Parts: sequence; structure tokens; C-alpha cells
Amino acid sequence: MEPQIKRWKGSACDTDSWVAYPVLSDDQSQDVELIEAFAAPIVDKKETSRLIRELNSLYPLNGLQHIKRVRACKGKGSPHPLEVLVCLVSDAPDVKDVSIGSLLPSDGVRHDGLGEPFVVKVPARPPLTRPQFELASKHWPTSFHEDKQVTVALRGELFSPPQKATMHLYMMSAFTAAEAGKEMGMEAVGAVVVNPATQRIIAVGHDCRGDHPLHHAVMVCIDLVAQSQGGGCYSFDRYPACRFTSSDTDTFKSGEASSQPYICTGYDLYVTREPCVMCAMALVHSRIGRVFYGTASADGALGTKFKIHSQKDLNHRFEVYKGVLSKQCEDLKGLESHNRKQSLED
Amino acid sequence: MGTQGGSEAAAAESFYPSDEDREKWMANAFDMARDALENGEVPVGCLMVYNDEVVGKGRNEVNETKNATRHAEMVALDQLLDWCRHSNLDVRSVCEQTALYVTVEPCIMCAAALRLLNIPVVVYGCRNERFGGCGSVLEVSSANLPQTGTTFKCVSGHRAEEAVEMLKTFYKQENPNGD
Repeated sequence: MEPQIKRWKGSACDTDSWVAYPVLSDDQSQDVELIEAFAAPIVDKKETSRLIRELNSLYPLNGLQHIKRVRACKGKGSPHPLEVLVCLVSDAPDVKDVSIGSLLPSDGVRHDGLGEPFVVKVPARPPLTRPQFELASKHWPTSFHEDKQVTVALRGELFSPPQKATMHLYMMSAFTAAEAGKEMGMEAVGAVVVNPATQRIIAVGHDCRGDHPLHHAVMVCIDLVAQSQGGGCYSFDRYPACRFTSSDTDTFKSGEASSQPYICTGYDLYVTREPCVMCAMALVHSRIGRVFYGTASADGALGTKFKIHSQKDLNHRFEVYKGVLSKQCEDLKGLESHNRKQSLED
Repeated sequence: MGTQGGSEAAAAESFYPSDEDREKWMANAFDMARDALENGEVPVGCLMVYNDEVVGKGRNEVNETKNATRHAEMVALDQLLDWCRHSNLDVRSVCEQTALYVTVEPCIMCAAALRLLNIPVVVYGCRNERFGGCGSVLEVSSANLPQTGTTFKCVSGHRAEEAVEMLKTFYKQENPNGD
């Protein structure tokens, strides 16, 4: 078997070795929730439009605009071609023997053309992603306003090969910083802040918690970005791998406060592993543009334990992608737990 | 307030802040918050108290440093760490006996930072509806996060109206249409 180290160096530009997947909100990634409804066969097709009209006015199915009222019964010897939703089980009058007669008062909907009702399960919420749509449609026909970008992202195809090559490069910088930090006895975590508009790296940092328990790689990078804008409050001089480049000169020279970037607005962060709660919220406060991480963390707050980037009630949200250089980033973690285990055994 | 290990709870109990302590230290925290307001920062102030001694204090300094993580608690935690270094004391054993007094509920970031440093008790004034990490937006203080330090207890409501008023004053000033 090929030694690992060699493979890392050899695959410096091998963008086929990883796929970036989006970390979607709970609403977008949860299972399809179902509610029960009564459906009935339409035995006389000519009555269909009248039945839909009358049922819509008697039982409008409020909040379920994504549900189609009628579904076709595809072949397989079905005696009737169509089925229609009569009402939700929760809408139905409290009767023991469910029949068309008990569900529909004769002055509201004429029963002509309807067969006897039965219970079906229909999706309670509009599908937000193609996988949700496909699952929902298995239960009952559902309409779907597709976000094409999400669909493509879920297939892992959002980024083109040249884009992936750039992402690869940025994550390699984070990876190299992680190794440098590790050399100095820190946890093997590295991060890079990039301005995607100019493709410039603004800051590179690594974990420094050996000297300060809160100096996680992301916190280090946030202060380095502040330094690049003339602020900041720490000195990372003793860590050669932690560095920043000054703000884009054109915006800086104009001297107007309004033309300076506001903290991390519009910037991307690359970090070898999923940020913790503190770091994730620090990124919300810093108005980060997007976050890319290599591999998940046990207490991670951008997908694992929380999804702070899509948290309701917070005033800033951002996109998160995981899996960039996943193998290499995972190996960083492996190194670490191995070391920790050894030191415990010593 | 969530589940807690018996030993942690016992440790927290041993120096649970008295009414008198609360009165005294919160008055100080409010002074810090007012200082923030006078300097164009979000008016939040805090104190870290160990053995009846202030080992860290801070107020929001986000605008001054262009670093959005410079909340009062983060500033005070830095001072606490410096204090430990100068006093040659173990950070963990100091933190485990330190209470935080802060005018506003710590945000999600600060709540996680307090956990990472094993601070067991937080006394705060008003809720933080925008960012609160002790129940208002997320309950980081008591969440099951085994890799993120220890949970902490909260005592809330001390001079809450006053803390809210200061925040309102700030956000009124900040609104450019109000200038």
C-alpha cells in the first residue's frame, strides 16, 4: 500500500478526490412529514372539474397549496382513473362510520361520480429540495418550486473543476497552517480567509490554544482580518504561519469608512474541520460570506450539533459546504487523536 | 436549568452569589456598560469575580478593534487569563471558582467560550433576544456538548429593565436615520 504522506504530496491538485456538499438547514434536510387525509375514487371522469370546484370551496386545504387535489391512478387494473382528496382527517366531522355521505353534506358537494373514501398520507409541508420532493411525491402528487442551485449542490456538482482547483489551493493553505501549528504543539487545525472577488488570501491562521484556550484557528483568523483592516487585538508574531495581507489597497486608499470592508462581509473561510459553537457564532458576528470545511467535528456547530449558519432568529445567515479536501483533513484529526492517546498512555 | 453533573453542581453551590454580592458586582458591571455606551459600543459590561476579587472586567469593544468577537465577556476572559498567569495559578482551578456578572445574557459565542473555560455561574441582567446563548436563541449553557467544556448555571433578571433601556438607547443612536 502506498504510504499516506506520499499520497498527500502527490495529490496536491487532485480535485477529483473530494466533493463539496452543502450543509442545508433542518427545514431543507429533514424527512418528509405526513398528515392523514381522506381520498375518494372518481368513478365518473366527467364529474372531475365540478368535484374539484365544490371540494375546494367546502374543504379548501389551507396551508397545503403544495398538494395537488387529484392524482391519476396509473394502470395496474385500477377500476377508476383518478382519485381526489376530499379533506384532511382532522377536517372531518366526528363520525364513526366514514362514508362519502358523512364527509360531504349533500347541499355542499353532489356525490355523483365519487366512490367510497379511504385514508391516504399527504406531505404536510412544501418540499424544499429535490430529494424531499421525490419522497413527498411517492405519497401524493406535490408541486415543487425548485431551487436549481440547491439541486446541483446536493449532487456535489455546484463547483466547476477550475473553481474546485482554487478551493483546493485555499484548503491546502489551511492544511499547511494546521501542520505548522501542530509542529508548535497546537491542535492540528488551520483556517484561511479569502476575498473571493479578488481571489486574495486575507488571513491564514492555525489553532493557538496551547497559549490561549480560546485561540481556535477561526478566532485567530478573525483577529488577523481585523488587523488587515487596521484593528485587531492580539499579536501572533511568534507563529510564523499565522499571517495577514493588508486590505485591498484600492478600497483602503479611498479612505472612506463606507468603502472599507465591514469585518468579514463577503469573505470566504476555509477551515480544516467544522467550527465549534464559539467559532461558528463568531463567524455570524463577523458577517462571513461562506464557510468551507474539510471534515465534521463531534461538537461542530455548522451541521453536527447545531446549524448556526441557518439558525432562525439570527440576523446573519451564510452558506456552508463540507468535504473540501476531506481525506487530508480527516487524516489531520487522526494524527491528533493518535497523539492524544499516546500522551495519555505515557 | 438543564442537567448538571453532581460535582459541578456542588462546586457551583459552594460560592453561589449572595444578594449582596449580586448588588455590588452588578453595579460595577453597569458602570462598564455605560462606559461602552459613551464610547459608541454596544452597552454591555461585565466582571469576573474569584474569591471576592475582580480578576477580569470588560465592556464591548467591537468597533474599536474591528473584531466582532470583542464582546465584554471575551475581554474579561482575556484579563482573567492574564491574571492567572501573573498570579501563577492554574487557569482551570481559578475558573471553576469564578462567577461572571454581566448586564446582558451572554451571546451564543460567549456562552460557548464560558463553557470552554469551565466558568460555573453567570449572573446577568436582561435577556439577549438577538443572540442569547443561555436560552433566548439557543441554550448553549446547558446543551449536551461533551467536547465544549462544562455547563453553567444562570441567575437572571437583576436590573433587567435598566439593561434593556441602555441597549435601546444605543440602537436608537446607531440608526443612521436617527442622526
